[in-house]
Amino acid sequence: MQPTPDPAASAVLAVVFLPFVAAALVPLVYRALGERTAYFAAAVALACFGLVASQYGTHGTVSFPWIPSLGVSVSFYVDGLSLLIGFLASGVGVLILTYSGGYMHGEPGQPKYYAALLAFMGSMLGVAFAADLIALFVFWELTSLSSFILIGHYQRQKSSQYAARKSMLITVSGGLFMLVGFLLLHAVTGEFSIVYMLENPELVQEELRQAGLFLPVLGLIGVGAAAKSAQVPLHIWLPNAMEAPTPVSAFLHSATMVKAGVYLLGRFRPVLVSHEWEVAFAVLGLTTMTVAAILAVGATDIKELLAYSTASHLGLIVAGFGFVSDLGGETGAFHIINHATFKAALFLVAGIIAHEAGTRKIDNLGGLKDDLPITAAIAAVASLGMAGVPPFNGFYSKELLFEAAWETATHAGGLAWLYPVVAVFGSVFTFLYSIRFLMLFFGEKPTGLHKVHSPPKAMLAPPLLLGILAALVSVGGVLGTFGFHFEPFDHFVTEVWASTVAPEADLHGGFSYHVPTHITPAVAMSAVTIALGAAAYPFYDRLHRGVNRITDVDLLRANWYYDSTVFGLNDFSDTAAETVQNGLLRTYATWAMASVAALALAGYAASGVALPDFTGFAVTVPIALVLGVAIVGAVAVSLAPSHISGVLTLSILGFMVAVFYVLASAPDLALTQLVVETLTLVIFLLVLDRLPAFYGNAGRGKMLRDGVLSAVVGATVFVTVLVSTAASPDDSIANFFTDPAVTVEEAGGHNIVNVILVDFRAFDTMGEISVVAMAALSVLTLVAMRERGETQ
Amino acid sequence: MSTVIARTVTRTVVPIILVTAVALLLQGHNLPGGGFIGGVLTVTAFALIYVIYGLDYLEEELLHQNRETIIESIQHGIVGNYQIAFGVGLAVAAVAGLVPILFGSNFLYQDFWVLHHLPIYGELHVASALAFDLGVYFVVVGALLTILAVVGSE
Repeated sequence: MQPTPDPAASAVLAVVFLPFVAAALVPLVYRALGERTAYFAAAVALACFGLVASQYGTHGTVSFPWIPSLGVSVSFYVDGLSLLIGFLASGVGVLILTYSGGYMHGEPGQPKYYAALLAFMGSMLGVAFAADLIALFVFWELTSLSSFILIGHYQRQKSSQYAARKSMLITVSGGLFMLVGFLLLHAVTGEFSIVYMLENPELVQEELRQAGLFLPVLGLIGVGAAAKSAQVPLHIWLPNAMEAPTPVSAFLHSATMVKAGVYLLGRFRPVLVSHEWEVAFAVLGLTTMTVAAILAVGATDIKELLAYSTASHLGLIVAGFGFVSDLGGETGAFHIINHATFKAALFLVAGIIAHEAGTRKIDNLGGLKDDLPITAAIAAVASLGMAGVPPFNGFYSKELLFEAAWETATHAGGLAWLYPVVAVFGSVFTFLYSIRFLMLFFGEKPTGLHKVHSPPKAMLAPPLLLGILAALVSVGGVLGTFGFHFEPFDHFVTEVWASTVAPEADLHGGFSYHVPTHITPAVAMSAVTIALGAAAYPFYDRLHRGVNRITDVDLLRANWYYDSTVFGLNDFSDTAAETVQNGLLRTYATWAMASVAALALAGYAASGVALPDFTGFAVTVPIALVLGVAIVGAVAVSLAPSHISGVLTLSILGFMVAVFYVLASAPDLALTQLVVETLTLVIFLLVLDRLPAFYGNAGRGKMLRDGVLSAVVGATVFVTVLVSTAASPDDSIANFFTDPAVTVEEAGGHNIVNVILVDFRAFDTMGEISVVAMAALSVLTLVAMRERGETQ
Repeated sequence: MSTVIARTVTRTVVPIILVTAVALLLQGHNLPGGGFIGGVLTVTAFALIYVIYGLDYLEEELLHQNRETIIESIQHGIVGNYQIAFGVGLAVAAVAGLVPILFGSNFLYQDFWVLHHLPIYGELHVASALAFDLGVYFVVVGALLTILAVVGSE
């Protein structure tokens, strides 16, 4: 390869951070521009698109230190794959934001909407370009957060809340799995840099295998990608996410967020690709492709249909990346582009239908082509591409998948023949629902569907542009048959493809595509798919009902598992809160102490702490005497017949401890203990005359329970003291402080305790007094709130 | 609780406690004492007044303020002053930490000076940590008295 120029640091930085800055400015802009904020946001996206485009052809890393002591940096990596995702996020962003100008007309909460959409675009660009594992994770979770806001845009609707929470729970926790995978990667390689891993893929894989961490890392990263890209069984958040306004669905759920998962797989493909990788992701992808396609046939709402279809096509991409052969990377790279164009167009078409016809129910729609001719043309190009009908764009990438599946099957034989079979089976359903979507525009117009108006231009132009792009890709294939290749496009796909394979892999002279001119296994598979689909289409309604009958069975629905878990946990925590916090101080104390003791003891047991040798009592007679009195006081407290005697005997205990400190030559501690003890006594006097003389006798069972608990707590504390004092290092830290050269010369004080408090560890003291102040504030707030009746 | 003996003793003892508290605060750097101990001791003096004379005594007899509800006394009464006390304390401690930065040192860096040939005292150690300790003192006094007054008035 000829040398490529390095990316410009300022441009890459601007691409990622410009959307965030713009998002922060949105409230101000909205005050000035009102609803035209959409065009401001679109302009920002366009600027990002231009910046991404300016980096086209470059290749390399831009790095800024972030946490140098941990080797974490904010670094960005520019290559084919990151450029592709960058183009998608910013380019589709321009269209979506323009479209929003029409779609969101008169909707509430627009500043929040545009700010979140811009922030989302920024985080997506961050994901695309991040070259550091930690930076990637941060941007990754930012996409989850901003999509949470966007999906829950209609925040008063229960269904929006449910959908937003669901997508957040699944994608954020998936991200946490990914983080653990990243940390394992770091633990093995000692690097956070993705570039390092891409440059030494074999070494990294070798090290991972030696550490026995290859499968865990593969699995953890896989879970993160699967959660984000809605792979079975984590696909359930995607259909609910359709609660979001349609432009959001088009942006997040066709072009960007769900692409983050497949991007992750593409990014780590060169490093982790192996036999295990193929089994994991080809199976996962093909399963998702088939299951989601079947579910799409069962959908009754056009956006739901598109949502399942998205999951299905993401499955196709995942499966493509899953196949080890070079064809696999090609499939994934090419289908990302195709899917983004046709699916974003279809979502926008769905938005037009919903907006203009006032319904999204498939059964209530039909014959729309007379009222919406241009929309119908876009839908035709896009849905035929989605169906994989030649010569439309989806066809070529699906051919590649078939080829890859076939090749793998002939290589491996045996069970691997399931790959092509399942691929064809799933594609039949893809064909079915794509044609069903297209038929919304044809046939009879149902009664009750009023005259449908044409959409405003701002809403029509973006899908039109996407449709034209899809058509251009399709035409490119036809021309390719006659030997005319659109070089820049082929070159770009080659670049993306090259990012997903090992550095030295053979790309067979680069990517090009054309309508097949002779029979190959893949062509036969496509023919079978279309023939079966066409044959089954007349029975679509029956299939639709059949699918719904199956998904009515609770145990077969992933949603049922999600709901049972989440609501079950909710109920459990309600019950737990009522049991643990029943309003009785006694119960609170019991639970708190029992759990602390249990956790501490379990911790000691788990870490296998050995009790140190017990060398006997090394106390002088006076100390023993004082402690003896303290013990007598302690026993007397528990036997005290009234509160007053209880308080007084408790003070005996406290003062004895103070005397013990004096004898153990800790005057400061003794002074503190004395003063605090006095204060406690006085405060008790303050409340004593309000208390009843005695609460009466507790039951025998309760006393037994409390006795056992106190014994356990006492034992825990005893063990803790033994263990912690035994663990003191050889070079005691006290030597540093007791050295007069330090305390007197450096700090000018003779009282070590105070010098430590205000000189050496003043920052700790600062924190402590803040806590004291906060405690006072919370007491104030609690009492004040109750007095105002704000108990809710 | 308010016997004549208790009242008289309190009257005598409270000033002594307060003076002791201040002494403990000032000598803290070299002898047992310091902001925390001084603060708690001061609170003890106030608590004694509360116990012997009652909560309302301070407000009504000493400060001539009449507050009907707890909210009023929290917002305007003596509790308001306590709040100011711990607020000021936090501020003093923070400023004591920030000042060294002006002189190019680290946050919370402390220094000390020894003054010679003073009348009466002779030689005196002045540590900048005293400012920080003063902050600690005010926070402890303000916060504990707030809690005491609010909870006590219940």
